[in-house]
Amino acid sequence: MSQDKDKAQPQDPERREFLTTATGVVAGAGIVATSWPFIASMNPSSEVLSKATTEVSLTGLQPGAVKTVEWQGKPVFILHRTDEQATDMDKTEGGKDPQKDTSRVKDPNWLVVVGLCTHLGCVPQRKDQGWFCPCHGSVYDNSGRILKGPAPRNLDLPPYEFIGENKILIGKAKA
Amino acid sequence: MANKIMAWIDERFPLTNIVKHEITDYPTPRNLSYWWNFGFLAGFVLVIQLISGIFLAMHYKADTSLAFDSVEHIMREVNYGWLIRYMHSTGASAFFAVIFIHMARTLYYGSYRAPRELMWWTGQILLIMLMATAFFGYLLPWGQMSYWGAQVITSLFGTVPFLGDEIVVWLRGDFAVGDATLTRFFALHYLFPFLIFGMVAIHLVALHMVKSSNPSGIDLQAKDNIPLHPYFTAKDFYGLGVFLIVFSLILFFRPNLFIEPDNYIPANPMQTPAHIVPEWYFLPFYAILRAIPDLVGGVIAMALSILLFAVMPYLDRSKIPGGARYRPFYRIMFIVFAIDVVILGYVGAKPPTGFLITLGQICTFFYFALFMLLPFVSKREEKWLRAKGLPAEVEALIASDERQREIQRKEALRK
Amino acid sequence: MKQLLSLFIIYLFLASSSSFAASDNGHPLADIKLDRSQAALQRGANAVINSCMLCHQLKYIKYRNLLDIGFDQATVDAMRKDNPMSSLLPTGLDKKLVEDMFGIVPPDLALMAKARKGGPAYIYTLLTSYHEQADGRIENLLFPGIAMPDPTAHSVTEDAAAKKEIEAKILDIASFLEWTADPHAQERKTMGIYVIIYLVILTIMLYIVKKRVWARLD
Repeated sequence: MSQDKDKAQPQDPERREFLTTATGVVAGAGIVATSWPFIASMNPSSEVLSKATTEVSLTGLQPGAVKTVEWQGKPVFILHRTDEQATDMDKTEGGKDPQKDTSRVKDPNWLVVVGLCTHLGCVPQRKDQGWFCPCHGSVYDNSGRILKGPAPRNLDLPPYEFIGENKILIGKAKA
Repeated sequence: MANKIMAWIDERFPLTNIVKHEITDYPTPRNLSYWWNFGFLAGFVLVIQLISGIFLAMHYKADTSLAFDSVEHIMREVNYGWLIRYMHSTGASAFFAVIFIHMARTLYYGSYRAPRELMWWTGQILLIMLMATAFFGYLLPWGQMSYWGAQVITSLFGTVPFLGDEIVVWLRGDFAVGDATLTRFFALHYLFPFLIFGMVAIHLVALHMVKSSNPSGIDLQAKDNIPLHPYFTAKDFYGLGVFLIVFSLILFFRPNLFIEPDNYIPANPMQTPAHIVPEWYFLPFYAILRAIPDLVGGVIAMALSILLFAVMPYLDRSKIPGGARYRPFYRIMFIVFAIDVVILGYVGAKPPTGFLITLGQICTFFYFALFMLLPFVSKREEKWLRAKGLPAEVEALIASDERQREIQRKEALRK
Repeated sequence: MKQLLSLFIIYLFLASSSSFAASDNGHPLADIKLDRSQAALQRGANAVINSCMLCHQLKYIKYRNLLDIGFDQATVDAMRKDNPMSSLLPTGLDKKLVEDMFGIVPPDLALMAKARKGGPAYIYTLLTSYHEQADGRIENLLFPGIAMPDPTAHSVTEDAAAKKEIEAKILDIASFLEWTADPHAQERKTMGIYVIIYLVILTIMLYIVKKRVWARLD
């Protein structure tokens, strides 16, 4: 019995070394894999993810009226522009951040912008033909373009799509 | 590089020394069986519970109107929330299973005897802390069993003389278990594991002072000790693998095995479930509580049934080493006790009717009788065994053990 | 010590056996084989939405959850009309009205398959246990005194083929409610298989390492 052991001994160390390393690697892989569910549990839950998009019905929103909806915890302004407002906007390019109106809307009668001033994130108020930020006085036009004040850029555009009749989906549906 | 870093640390903190002293050179009896794995396993389960618990607490809401739904939110909406929650609920059962086996090993091999009384007592404190933690945690899902379990157990404190009713209201922070109770149980459930962690550290310091006991029951000579690492680390990790297989089988395929169906019904203070049952690990103690017809007596009996273990080092007066191994009578008592506890558990799970009441009372009697008989049985057994003539090897073990102690005593005196 | 371990296992079995077997009143539960295919779950979903939810609620189950059992977006859109994907399935439950009629508020069904001993088998048995008594009353043998009248008319259906059809529908309902109680069960079992395979391999490796390390001692 002990003789068998002795015979096995010489080649043992190396094989033992390899096996121990291999076992360590396998165990380490298991620990890494196990940590994933815990890390993932801190990501937004499926409930939060389901709120990544907001469905808005446009029915009943009169021309000239604005509707504020919540999308991913932020206000989004939906302005139903009259034909006159739309053509007015098409003629200008705004102020310090010039942009064509056509590149800011999908339908000239509907403007959809994130309602946070690009300066320091206050919510601008509807005023005359545009918006006015009460915090530092930035002024935006009916295309959400910055006209004057400290704000550096035009109001941001959320991703959105017209789905069905009179309905838009703000945000990207998860792939 | 690594050597330099180690040198830098070692000048400031004795890291290498600790690792050497407590792990790589730590002498461990060579003859430890797999029953000595369970202490390590208990430590591992504690870590599972701590980690899964912290992640659950990120999503749980301790409010009576939200608690039940927040657990369902975890089970349904949180990424892998079901996994973490089932891990925690299965882990609670695993913790008790491991601890009970760990205790049974201590009892069977007489590991509680001198000089390991402090190990045994810190272990006892750990058991009671674990029970408290499990009890606090069980309220959190705010199901029917959670609610009525907490209601019943807090009511037990009403048996305290004079101040009973006030204590019950103080514990609950309300006239019945309510929002105040839930939030404080959550706070304590989060706190206790860290206290347990500290107590485990004390348990381990005591262990490294007196060293592991072993199946032969005597202090082994140096030549019979081997380093903890790599021998017992290898053995413990293999045992851990086996444990994890069993644990995962329950976690992934029978996660509701230990969860009462009634706990999937939200707590309703207006309606008690048909029969309320505690978690399986409390069943034997619950049976003892119910076996005594008088409530105060029942509470005292239940408390004693746990606390009596602490006096084991004094109840057992035998000098024969190796616990039940070389002691036929002690072994019989141990087996009777184990069967008795199992029957008590069964009785505790069933509604108290006719024969089961009597059975519970008989088993309660045996439970205490065995403790009471131990001092006499152990002494007589020792005399009888020695008169009969122990196997030569055991006599030699006792002799060497006594000689060993003699040497130690002299050494201590010389210092 | 070995005997002790077997005792312990017996103990665990006894302690947990209460979750299987017969119901509380001793009435045996039907031995059913659930069909967990998406088609069955969808049939069950339709049955529950169209019948059960006239009185019962299905807490926790939202329109978007229906996608998980294979309903396509168009079908769900048709069901929800203008309601957001994240709203709960609607119930006809008017708590006050139903309480006046039956004396109790019908229990929520989302967790029913977990909240009763036997789970889906309990649901199946309950719905097939209505029987006409000698005095003409219809009584439920599993739940005597139940407030809910036989919802599928199983007890008064004479035609064998029609009865079989009702039983098939009840089985689908049981499958669907098992899903609503534990929507991740399938994912859990699949993951479990991989975890067990991994652990068995790892444990075998650890065993060999242990053997080799200890061989140095001889």
